[in-house]
Amino acid sequence: MTRMTTPLILKLEQRDQLSDDEKRALDNAISRVRVVEADEDIVREGDRPNESSLLLDGFAARYKLVSNGRRQISALHVAGDFLDLHSFLLKTMDYGVLALTTCRIATVPHATLEKITDEFPHLTRMLWLNTLIDGAIHREWLTAMGRLSATAHMAHLICELYLRLKVVGRAEGDSVQLPITQAELGDTLGLSTVHVNRVLQELRKEGLIRFQGDALTILDWERLKKVGEFTPTYLSLQNEDR
Amino acid sequence: MPEITLQPISVMTDGGGHEGQLVLAAGHLVAVLSRVTAEETLGEREQIEGWFLEAGFGPCGPLMSVTPPVFTDLDQALAWVRTRLEAGFDPS
Repeated sequence: MTRMTTPLILKLEQRDQLSDDEKRALDNAISRVRVVEADEDIVREGDRPNESSLLLDGFAARYKLVSNGRRQISALHVAGDFLDLHSFLLKTMDYGVLALTTCRIATVPHATLEKITDEFPHLTRMLWLNTLIDGAIHREWLTAMGRLSATAHMAHLICELYLRLKVVGRAEGDSVQLPITQAELGDTLGLSTVHVNRVLQELRKEGLIRFQGDALTILDWERLKKVGEFTPTYLSLQNEDR
Repeated sequence: MPEITLQPISVMTDGGGHEGQLVLAAGHLVAVLSRVTAEETLGEREQIEGWFLEAGFGPCGPLMSVTPPVFTDLDQALAWVRTRLEAGFDPS
């Protein structure tokens, strides 16, 4: 049976097994599914949602605008990611989430999340883990942003996105679909589009990656990891009791 | 406003020498510009060829300003340099 929550279940089960009851609870938690077109907001900064959004398909970005009109993307989201599980407890959104491509979004009411926390302690820990991994990714990005060269930073991001997509079954061998524009990559890495262009050229020239349209192929995983100083510990990919 | 002068220079970008300009304000280096093709600005709101700020110093440097978009021509680049020089302590 294909269930709607498959990408989330794949993401969580990479880290620990879920019981059938827990999977059913996740399925039943979805109140509706909506489609958000590219470049539209999924949640806005300042909103006080009474539901959280789970990304089923597509790519989304957590972002903030600064006064000079520049945008910083502080997180990229792939299928299986909860875009604003935080809003369940933080209440007011301190960032916005934007659809980078057409996104299919499942809505989970906060009241249902509260019920899950009352009735499913292990599943609650797994959702907690989910937000802890979000936090770990932020720490890793901060380090990369501050202290890696632009080329290494890009290599690091590509390694991470490839693994995250692979976990949710969105990789085909060494390739993933990555329909993110160079301007969006620039806003993610804090780089100008000229620099994004140059670092991608550099990685291509070195034979580490190949882009064909939106399809990104990793040609030399070991060297790409080395260039990006990428160690996936922060993604907590081991399956263990949690 | 100090006199702003340009000096052509070859800048090594993308593994080779590219057409560039040193921008000096009263003889002090404030910016290095390089010529970029439209292909290199892929993803800008408008994809244009023009002049890219490779490096800036003082009011044009990263301590006081964020990297501006690619300038369509040198006049536009120099107008930005003048604005930065006039801004004084006004980090953008």
